Amino acid sequence: MARAGTPTAFDDVDPKRRVRNVALTLVAIGVGVLVLMFLESLGSSKLSQSLALFAIWGVATVSLNLINGTLGILSLGHHGFMLIGGYTTGLLILDEAARARILTSARSTMTEESLAISVTNMLRGIGLDALTTPDTLWVRFLIAIFLGGLMAAFAGLLVGIPSLRLRGDYLAIVTFGFGEIIRLSASTRLFAEYTNGALGFPGLTSEFGKSVWWTFGILAFTVFVMSKLKFSSYGRAMQAIREDEVAAQAMGINLAYNKVLGFVISAFFAGVAGGLWVSWLGGVRLDFFLFQLTFFFLVAISAGGTGSITGVLLGTALVVFVRQYGDPLEQTYTLQQWLTYAGATLVLMTGLAVLFRSLRRLRPRFHWSAGVLAGAAVLAFVVAAIDPAFLEGTFRGFGMRAIFLSVLLIAIMVFRPEGMIGRAEFSWSGLLGERRSGPTDDERTQDAWLTNPVLNPRGSDADVASGSDAPTAPGRSAARELDVGDERHPRDDSTDDERRG
Amino acid sequence: MKRWLPWAILAGLIVLIVWRMLYLGTVSERFNGAFFARAAIDSIKLGSLYALIALGYTMVYGIIRLINFAHGEVFMVGAFATYFLFTLTPYSLVGGAALAIVMAYALMRVTELFRGRLRDPVVLGVGGGGFLLLVWALTTFTWPFWAALVGSMLATGVLGLTIDRVAYVPLRTAPRNSLLITAIAVSFLLQNLGLLVFTNRQTPFRPDTVLNDPFTLDVMGQPVLTNNLLVAIPVITLVLVLALTSFVNRSRLGKAMRASAQDAEVAQMMGVSVNKVIATTFLLGSILAAAGGAMWGLNFGSLNQPAIMGILPGIKAFAAAVIGGIGSLPGAVIGAMIIGFSENFLSALFPRTPTFLGVTEFKDTFAFVLLIIVLLIRPSGIVGEDLSEKV
Repeated sequence: MARAGTPTAFDDVDPKRRVRNVALTLVAIGVGVLVLMFLESLGSSKLSQSLALFAIWGVATVSLNLINGTLGILSLGHHGFMLIGGYTTGLLILDEAARARILTSARSTMTEESLAISVTNMLRGIGLDALTTPDTLWVRFLIAIFLGGLMAAFAGLLVGIPSLRLRGDYLAIVTFGFGEIIRLSASTRLFAEYTNGALGFPGLTSEFGKSVWWTFGILAFTVFVMSKLKFSSYGRAMQAIREDEVAAQAMGINLAYNKVLGFVISAFFAGVAGGLWVSWLGGVRLDFFLFQLTFFFLVAISAGGTGSITGVLLGTALVVFVRQYGDPLEQTYTLQQWLTYAGATLVLMTGLAVLFRSLRRLRPRFHWSAGVLAGAAVLAFVVAAIDPAFLEGTFRGFGMRAIFLSVLLIAIMVFRPEGMIGRAEFSWSGLLGERRSGPTDDERTQDAWLTNPVLNPRGSDADVASGSDAPTAPGRSAARELDVGDERHPRDDSTDDERRG
Repeated sequence: MKRWLPWAILAGLIVLIVWRMLYLGTVSERFNGAFFARAAIDSIKLGSLYALIALGYTMVYGIIRLINFAHGEVFMVGAFATYFLFTLTPYSLVGGAALAIVMAYALMRVTELFRGRLRDPVVLGVGGGGFLLLVWALTTFTWPFWAALVGSMLATGVLGLTIDRVAYVPLRTAPRNSLLITAIAVSFLLQNLGLLVFTNRQTPFRPDTVLNDPFTLDVMGQPVLTNNLLVAIPVITLVLVLALTSFVNRSRLGKAMRASAQDAEVAQMMGVSVNKVIATTFLLGSILAAAGGAMWGLNFGSLNQPAIMGILPGIKAFAAAVIGGIGSLPGAVIGAMIIGFSENFLSALFPRTPTFLGVTEFKDTFAFVLLIIVLLIRPSGIVGEDLSEKV
């Protein structure tokens, strides 16, 4: 039965529907491939570049989600891991012409020995000359991003060690410190021989970073690994650590091992994402790896739903959309136009505030703050309509996208900290609106307790009621039938209304 | 730990440093007394500046256990507010009135600290009178530096209150990670608003003030050119720190603050308005940070562009607060001095010589390295009590 055995990624479905789900997944992949083929036939458009960027940042956010969501540690050093992966990849696949230019440049800090480090030379060294031709660049690129990932994973090991002693925000600040140390020391003498100081490596091939095939392929691989990991025994151990470290340790979970493992795996994929990112940008420079990058990932994770791979990808799509298509926000407009837009934004905010309060059943539905917002909107419209003298001139909305994203993040944290979809994952049953046939995790726990005669002699007859042979009604279980006291089922639709009265 | 151990470590360090200085003196003529005096002067000034910022971190962390990432940006806003107050005054009537409202509100909140409540005749009188005076002052003449400094401290105090009210009050009961993420978002928001509203390039900061007047020190027969800031920055820092310490130790609200830091829930049960205490913390921290920002501008003669100005000083000041022992006011000052000295004096102790390239280019990473070492060895910091997390 589905009840028994280790739960796997999407096994909350009736076994009869599993064939259908596999078919649906295959169809979805086929449709995705067709869409990508269509996009490729259009040539390198802004849309395909944005999609590639989505896939690259998706790799980064999904890997960051392993630490932030699954392990429950706030890590702020992801840009450092990406920097390591990016610089390694950049150094390894730089073509001969670019190397010659760097070597002859007077300001360059690289030496002949450090410039000789490349995948091509490695392959020549072991006698695989066949793989050094221009048509096999993809092999070298894959090797390079793999090595970049390994370097980043090593850094992840170093960062993971403090996590054994520290918790919470102290740990967050240490990860931030590590990220900044990596960034600040990359241009110093210590590493300048390999990073070319502040100059970086210009002229990297964009063949892979901007190709939807490679980026989406690697994203699919990352999501596959991460979802398998999340529902493996390692992932369950990590989630237990997130919920309660002491309890997890009492259950025999090795805290140190699991935390460091999480950091290493996450850093590996961050390094891979860094390699793709420099390829997308067509060069490596220090200012491609600012803390801003980690901030964008944090917005994506929080917006989508911390801990849910599906949610994180949704959030990434949102952030990438704002980054790629938000440039109208940063144009120069007249002050009158700006005021009108501000008024429209305020109207939108008023509407959202009222909607939010009525959805959450908060009273009064029309809070005074909504009145203030509406009043400000009216004021803005009136002033814009009168068009007084001080509205002469224009104004450039420099940095509006970043402002929008940070306001969005504050709003999410204040109003909906769980993000768009919380910790739920995508499933065909969920999409088609089918109820789960198996019990939820909470119900499983309660069942185990209620049906254990040692722990609960009163409920041992409940065995029969939720018996393993009789097909149980959706969501029904021993816990339900005994109607235990105040225990509320998170999936019960009625609880939300009851709680808010 | 033995009581004498810290002093023994300190004495050992001083011996090592003196030995190293004497050794460097034999290596080259360049490393004479004046060379080290210059480094020490820079260290003291920088350490005092970090202390002003670190106090805000340490107070906020002491009460709500939040690393207020936005504090570095509050510092940045304080610097720019000072700059605009002494360059752009006199303002037009509309702008002046708007600014005067903000500053008068801050005046009321500061008076409230001594009177106990906002609806008090004295507080309202100060607010109303201050408003009229400020409108007059903002619209009639160019402000001198000291007035700009005080005005910016007031305006920035209101910014601190606003940040607390808008972003942190709704999250009082939220998990700490959400609070930290919000703080990062506020910090990012202020950086980009600074780019949008203030400027997007480096800004010269050279007000006409007596603090900038140069004078020459005589160190072992060699002249060291410096300016009045060498005295002014530590003195101003000392005055503000002493005022803050006596406020926290003596006043009623200060007592409430200490109680909330010990146990906010119990303090609330005893009738302390914890929200008000937290708001006061943000007000005082932001006022100090604004003073630090203005002094920072004086010290370096220019302000970095808003998006990056606050990040490194902010995070280094946080490191200082942790090194000193987070939650402790003297600890923050000690930690700030340590960071200041490690940043400048270490570069002087390991300078560029023909055989060694020096450590100057790593000086930005010292604070982080120190932070990580302290967190790993003694998370409670130098003077802090044990903060090990309870189960």
